[in-house]
Amino acid sequence: MSGIEDTTTHSSGSEPADTASTGRVAAIGAWVIGQLRLLVMCFSAGIAVVLASARPMTWRSTVRAEFLCQCHLIGTRAIPIISLTGIIVGLGMVYQALYWLNIFGQSGFAGRFLVLVLVREIAPLLVGLIVIGRSGSFMLVELGSMKVDGQVHMLDAQGIDPFLYLVVPRVLAVSVSMFCLTIILLLVSLTVGFLVCSALKATDFTLKMFIVDVLSAMGPGEFMILPMKTLLIGFAVGVIACLTGLSVTGMATEVQESLPLGMVRSVLATFLISSAITLLF
Amino acid sequence: MIQRIDECRLVLQAENVHLGTGPLDGGAMTTVNFHLCGGELALVYMEHPEQGTALADVFSGLIRPEAGTVLFLGRDWSRLPPDNANALRGKIGRVFSKGAWLNHLSMWENLLLPQRHHTRRSDAELHDEAMALADRFGLPGLPSGRPVQCLPADLQRGACIRAFLGRPVLILLEDPTAGGETGLMAGLINTIRNARDYGAAVVWMTSEESIWRDMTFPASFRYRFVGRQLMEVPR
Repeated sequence: MSGIEDTTTHSSGSEPADTASTGRVAAIGAWVIGQLRLLVMCFSAGIAVVLASARPMTWRSTVRAEFLCQCHLIGTRAIPIISLTGIIVGLGMVYQALYWLNIFGQSGFAGRFLVLVLVREIAPLLVGLIVIGRSGSFMLVELGSMKVDGQVHMLDAQGIDPFLYLVVPRVLAVSVSMFCLTIILLLVSLTVGFLVCSALKATDFTLKMFIVDVLSAMGPGEFMILPMKTLLIGFAVGVIACLTGLSVTGMATEVQESLPLGMVRSVLATFLISSAITLLF
Repeated sequence: MIQRIDECRLVLQAENVHLGTGPLDGGAMTTVNFHLCGGELALVYMEHPEQGTALADVFSGLIRPEAGTVLFLGRDWSRLPPDNANALRGKIGRVFSKGAWLNHLSMWENLLLPQRHHTRRSDAELHDEAMALADRFGLPGLPSGRPVQCLPADLQRGACIRAFLGRPVLILLEDPTAGGETGLMAGLINTIRNARDYGAAVVWMTSEESIWRDMTFPASFRYRFVGRQLMEVPR
């Protein structure tokens, strides 16, 4: 009798615990499956964008116009904020590097240092974060609202593929703009840093020497890494923003809820791509 | 009916179309039998605007039915590759009940978007045709600015201009005079007459009793939803 009682007590006590642990495992499993599904979806969309952009049929006048419009919104209109960031980086980093290396008599390492830190790492990351905050979030909300308002449905009904008309131009525009903005940031920061340093007589470099020093410090790897990082980060930010925006199905509040999710995903992708390329090359 | 189909150029044909509950939660329609030839006008009465949107989506091949076939110009939507289906949809003009305008484009760009996408016609040519249509719908010119800056009446007229631009083969009108746009009626009827003359088929979906009961309305056929079925109503 006592044995029966023991068994009963044991089973009734462990059942809720089992259920709770099963529930936890199921929740973790569902989360992992969800993340993997998202990853596969992003990869598939990325490949689809590349394939679609390689087809001449994609580039109808409407898609070309949309691409140019997005380049203007994402690229041209971001030049002031990128220039301002470049000035801050120039004062905070380039000037400091030139100043301190000169004090320690290591001016010969200035070019190498700036290439390793600024060109390879900081510039693509900074521009990536600015593009996420300025354009990625806007694109996500814009496409989410279009989906909720029925504008995406309207395009479909008129025989205009929303993927070709909305996603392809946006993703490519972010990618191209990201590369151009990074170049602008580098030019502004290096120029401002050098000019301030020269004005304060904190460096022995002439402008020509400085340019030669920086360019000679750039090997083939750097010439490859910079476009690769910027284009890939821009591409990933565009794909994530567009997919998160278009995956909204219901009400307008869903758009607001998906915004932080899309931002976090984009930032994570930016850091992952940057780290992966640095490790590979 | 069979005799009529033999005599005319069939533009739209829906045979025993059965829809699941997906897009029509609430059971708005299950069975659709519908034939429309070039030059004909069908008036469809619906109790809910969602029924019109769903019906237009079925006719445009955007909703794939669970059973039955929908043929547009003799081609089954369900068998068409996406590119071909999109090209065919370019031959359909439509007035939408919801979400008709892209907010990041101007009204002018919105109006011309389908034609610019599907054809190589010049902007000047499209502008002339759009101006002629604007004149018919009672507008002094083409609406300018962004859609959010336009009056509802101008948007409704703009929607009609876009639907008739480029001589579409099939014109789907979802409540085109909704919101008390009675001033649009005469221009719309005239433009429909012209479209029918060149061989377009027109489906006018309305939830307005006054239009449905108007026996002078020049409809070739009248349909209405009876329960969950779309039924032809004898004149």
